[in-house]
Amino acid sequence: MNCAEATATVQAYVDGELDGVDRESVERHLVACSTCSSRVRLQTRFRAAVRAHLHRPEVPFTLRRRVEETLKSQPIAPRRWPAWMSLPRIVPAAAAVFLIVAITGTVRRQHSAVLDQAERTFNNTQMPMDITGSDCGSIASWFRGRLEFPVHAPALGSGATCQGGRLVNVGERPAAYLVYRVSDGHRVTFLVFDPRDLSIESRERRVVNGREMYLGTGPGISTVAYRDRGLGYVVTADYDEDTLTRLLTTSFAR
Amino acid sequence: MKRRPISSDFEREALPHLGALYAAALRMTRNEKDAEDLVQEALLRAYRFFDTFEAGTNCKAWLFRILTNVFCNQYRERERENVVMTEAESSSANLEQFLSGAGADGKETETALLGRMVSADVERALAAVPPDFRLAVVLADLEDFSYKEIAEIMDCPAGTVMSRLYRGRKILQGLLYDYAVEQGIIAPTTAKPALAGSGDAVAPVDLDAYRRKRAVEGERE
Repeated sequence: MNCAEATATVQAYVDGELDGVDRESVERHLVACSTCSSRVRLQTRFRAAVRAHLHRPEVPFTLRRRVEETLKSQPIAPRRWPAWMSLPRIVPAAAAVFLIVAITGTVRRQHSAVLDQAERTFNNTQMPMDITGSDCGSIASWFRGRLEFPVHAPALGSGATCQGGRLVNVGERPAAYLVYRVSDGHRVTFLVFDPRDLSIESRERRVVNGREMYLGTGPGISTVAYRDRGLGYVVTADYDEDTLTRLLTTSFAR
Repeated sequence: MKRRPISSDFEREALPHLGALYAAALRMTRNEKDAEDLVQEALLRAYRFFDTFEAGTNCKAWLFRILTNVFCNQYRERERENVVMTEAESSSANLEQFLSGAGADGKETETALLGRMVSADVERALAAVPPDFRLAVVLADLEDFSYKEIAEIMDCPAGTVMSRLYRGRKILQGLLYDYAVEQGIIAPTTAKPALAGSGDAVAPVDLDAYRRKRAVEGERE
């Protein structure tokens, strides 16, 4: 890549719109070219400075109240599946590229044994359930007395139903395994366990809404591990990691 | 009046974006009263058409698209009357010096000049950017939408997004430069150079403008 070509792509590069080969070739040029790398530095700095100066204004109380009043006076909008129920049409290019990489298996992230176990369990679709039923509440309460901790089935939104639960072992201790079916046919499973003495860390760490999450990716599936109120959770689904993270964020928000 | 609960799906998916919608509306209308009316109308419309919201798409982008639509239909005409097209782009060379905080000797100072400007000035400068360019900057730089999402929100091709964004940022930089000179934060240059690439609105980066800039830099050395 020469300067002219780099110049034409600097904006897209600074805006994070380049991926894979395009990104690499710009970066190779930037290492060698001080003019272009200084342009990138300036544009990045400008973006950051503008952002730092422009604060998000507080929503006036009057507006909040007006919106609520108006919506309450409307007929109830039809119920529908939340946005995460199927793969988003707008998938960031980088995520798409990563997904391809993950499927072809050229990148295998190292992660803790719990994440590996969650992936294996997810893939074992023949494993019989101890309790079946679509009501997550009754499945969760089935574990009462069988585990040393209470199991709450995480809420996944109106389009997801439970399928069943099973006692499993995580580390040396009994744990709960919950299977959900989402309306679009995807499967989501949870391992709920006592995280003492166990590592849930993986190489990819994200902080979403102040919550630490560790991500892992297997062929066509993603796994997210996190801690919540003293318990460990590993979630596996045949979604890409961004969709799965978003799904969990929706679930945390309530 | 008997109150009905707000649909919980809408409440969960759409209402968390109220802050972002209001912030954008305020920068689109440049007036609190209009911003409130705009957000109110957009959310009402979104609520009524929530069944047309395509599952699996980005709810925030969908809401912003409605906001932009309402804005264009109801506020844009008024907005247009108030707009003074600002073509205050200064030369790239000056600008780079300005942004990097470089002094006359070319050395970078510790604090970037933009860091010395107050938020009110940056807000004022943004408000003076023409609407389409301003909206592109707001969506990309403040709301982190991708080019593709902005293209859908503004209902235009991605190439147009890139050029609006490019031009919007250039104009913003030019205005900030002018304010900095006005306030004595930086010394005015002897002669304000001709506008760089005033005809390059189509391409995100005009190679001729780039070469001109290089030529200017060459002369300075």
